[in-house]
Amino acid sequence: MPRARRLPRRRSALILALALVGWALAAWFLWQTEVPDDLQLRHVEPRDVVSAGQEREASNFEEFLRFDFLLSQIAVVAALALYAVFGPRFLRESAAGRIGSGMLLAMLGLALVWVVSIPFSVAELWWSRRHDLSEESYGERVLGGWLALGGEFLFICLAILIVMGLAGPLRDRWWIPGGAVFVGLATLFSFVFPYLVPDQAPLRDSALSASARDYARDLDVEEVGVRVQKVADLTDAPNAMAVGLGPTRRVIIWDTLLDSRFSDDEVRVVLAHELGHHARDHLPKSIAWYALFAFPGAFLISRATRRRGGMRRPEAVPLGLFVLVALSLLALPVQNAITRHLEAEADWAALETTKNPEAARALFARFTTETLADPEPPTWAFVLVDTHPTVVERIAMAHAWAERRSP
Amino acid sequence: MSNEHPIRVVVEDDLHRSRLTVAFRLILAIPHIVWFLLWSLGTFILGLVAWVIGLVRGRLPDGLHDFFASYVRYSTHLSAYLLLAADPYPGFTGREGSYPVDVKIAPPEPQRRLTIGFRLFLAIPAILIASTLLSTPFAGGGGSGQNEEWGGGEYAFLGGAGVAALVGFFAWFACLARGRMPRGFRDLLTYALRYNAQMTGYLFFVTARYPDSDPAEPRALGDEGIQPQAVRMTVDDDGLRSRVTVFFRLLLSFPHIVWLMLWGVAAFLAAVASWFATLATGRPPAVLHRFLAAYVRYTVHVGAFLFLVANPFPGFTGAPGYPVDVQIDPPGPQPRLVTAFRLVLAFPALVVGGALLGLLFIVGFLGWFASLATGRMPQGLRNAGAYTLRYGAQVDAYGFYVLTSRYPYSGPSRPAEPPAAPADEPDAPGAPLAATA
Repeated sequence: MPRARRLPRRRSALILALALVGWALAAWFLWQTEVPDDLQLRHVEPRDVVSAGQEREASNFEEFLRFDFLLSQIAVVAALALYAVFGPRFLRESAAGRIGSGMLLAMLGLALVWVVSIPFSVAELWWSRRHDLSEESYGERVLGGWLALGGEFLFICLAILIVMGLAGPLRDRWWIPGGAVFVGLATLFSFVFPYLVPDQAPLRDSALSASARDYARDLDVEEVGVRVQKVADLTDAPNAMAVGLGPTRRVIIWDTLLDSRFSDDEVRVVLAHELGHHARDHLPKSIAWYALFAFPGAFLISRATRRRGGMRRPEAVPLGLFVLVALSLLALPVQNAITRHLEAEADWAALETTKNPEAARALFARFTTETLADPEPPTWAFVLVDTHPTVVERIAMAHAWAERRSP
Repeated sequence: MSNEHPIRVVVEDDLHRSRLTVAFRLILAIPHIVWFLLWSLGTFILGLVAWVIGLVRGRLPDGLHDFFASYVRYSTHLSAYLLLAADPYPGFTGREGSYPVDVKIAPPEPQRRLTIGFRLFLAIPAILIASTLLSTPFAGGGGSGQNEEWGGGEYAFLGGAGVAALVGFFAWFACLARGRMPRGFRDLLTYALRYNAQMTGYLFFVTARYPDSDPAEPRALGDEGIQPQAVRMTVDDDGLRSRVTVFFRLLLSFPHIVWLMLWGVAAFLAAVASWFATLATGRPPAVLHRFLAAYVRYTVHVGAFLFLVANPFPGFTGAPGYPVDVQIDPPGPQPRLVTAFRLVLAFPALVVGGALLGLLFIVGFLGWFASLATGRMPQGLRNAGAYTLRYGAQVDAYGFYVLTSRYPYSGPSRPAEPPAAPADEPDAPGAPLAATA
């Protein structure tokens, strides 16, 4: 091989190696949590947490949802694969120039995904309604999905504008500034997201409010407030979330958590858990993790679409969409592992703050009895689908915390 | 079967109006209104009889056909008189050839029993269009029915009255002031009356041919005497529609609608600046004119895409070349007085344009089903949509963006062609593509 060719290859290999080392270092840094490294979680049997009937019902319930999810993903990938082949035909429906045509193809791709997903979404709703976990009507589900699709169209148009706008002058190197822009957008979205959540109201329970303030002070996030979102008309499922960045940080809990099914102490665990997310900077860390995936993902899309002229050509958009979804699915186990890791740290922060492992155990057990969360799902499902530790793992952590505190 | 519709409107009107009869037109028409209501009652009862006979025989007896034909003619005469589309006091019999705005109706022909059986249901789209164009007992009675949903107020005024009623309202003032009916108003009324006559004729089995919503076909009048417009529409569309993009048309328009709103903010500021500059110098600055003309073109492109008047996804810049496009003359001198009172002068056109938007919505709504089912947009609907878009663009160009001082022409007839491009510039940008609406 001529020396002139070897040199660029060596340089590329060196850059790749440096990037991999940098990626690994950043990932290692982000992986660190305050959960003690020597924490030993002893196995908890589901039967110790809930009755056999409850365990069976939860297991059956989630099994259906897992297969529904898997089938929907297979259908989506298959549809997008077909679209990657045949999608460019829709270019004849456009008079919008390079970027506008790319937008049209991207929107049609999303529309296809929506159409393909409808049966699975309806099946999921049917199953939830059958188990009294949802009061949403089928019409609301489909129409709501249709309206949400409009928002997704706007987002994908913005994404295509960025990608194709950069790919015009930069050709295959669009992914470098493109990755940065998408990380910036993710940051902006996280910042404004608290204002986009509908039907929020202050937490009116004075005792819970006082506890939340105490926990926030203990965790050194005094400025983080708590809001209640009204969702009881749509679902019985309980939920809470930590949202926002910097001055927009807040905790939002669903009003289904306050409907007397959960004791005040259990709600306090939830509040401490969400405040723990803020205290341990999980949202900035999530954005950093996103950056670690966004740059290589954009690079791979750039490489995969080169045969179709790269992302500066609208013909490449359907293929780019397919690669994006395929990469997202491939990255799903890793991303789930990351979120489970962060959730475990938030659980630990909640235990350290509330110092009430009994309430934590009761809360986690109630996830099985009230929301039919499978206490111990099969490993493949845990790896592919679950974004939180299993119920038995969370209860085991509560046990472990209590054992470390006992004399 | 001839391409000519069996129900045609013929106009022999010189636009002259007697101020005295215009002033008291509504009162003068009271005997006619009473007679019309009685005749309508009889027509309704005989309509049921005709339905049964039609189902049995597959055609109407000549006597019944003539009765309904006279009713269609009479209702057209009366509406033309009330709405000032014609001047003389009409007769009470609906005799053919007795009125300047008249209806020619072909003799009865055999009709398919299936379409007779479901005639009322089949006529629903036509009734929707007719109710938007012209409020009559058989065209919705109360207009497009938007008023309750929109809470009344100005929407009741705009949408509930029907386009023709609004035109008649403004025409009343114009006729009183000038003793002449504005040509555009008369032609728009002729279109509404023609469509309503065809719809009523279809409903009462006078013909099996569906009403033709094409505003320009068949031509009731020549185009003589119509001033060349500064904003002209070109249509180069084969009628084919992609079912996929039709199904998601509203959602696919979202990015354009957002961009239209953002651009609209800049266009508003530019329009204000252009208005001041035109007031001061007597002509709009070229830069602002170009910017605002692109915005007006873009609104037409987006409207055409959204309401299925055109098929391809439009660009975001308002560049010429879209299948449904408008040509806008370069900036020219504008009278300062007209510029100073532009919004006031434009008020009637703005109101009529707003009412015509109702027609555009109906076009989009009906066209959506038709395009999904057949993969084609019916030509009549497409041309009706193009007409409303053209008038909207003219109203915008005149009323809001000071692009021209030429008043919008509300009639659907073909305007005179602008001067042809020089022979050495055969591909000059903006040359008409296929047809001008």
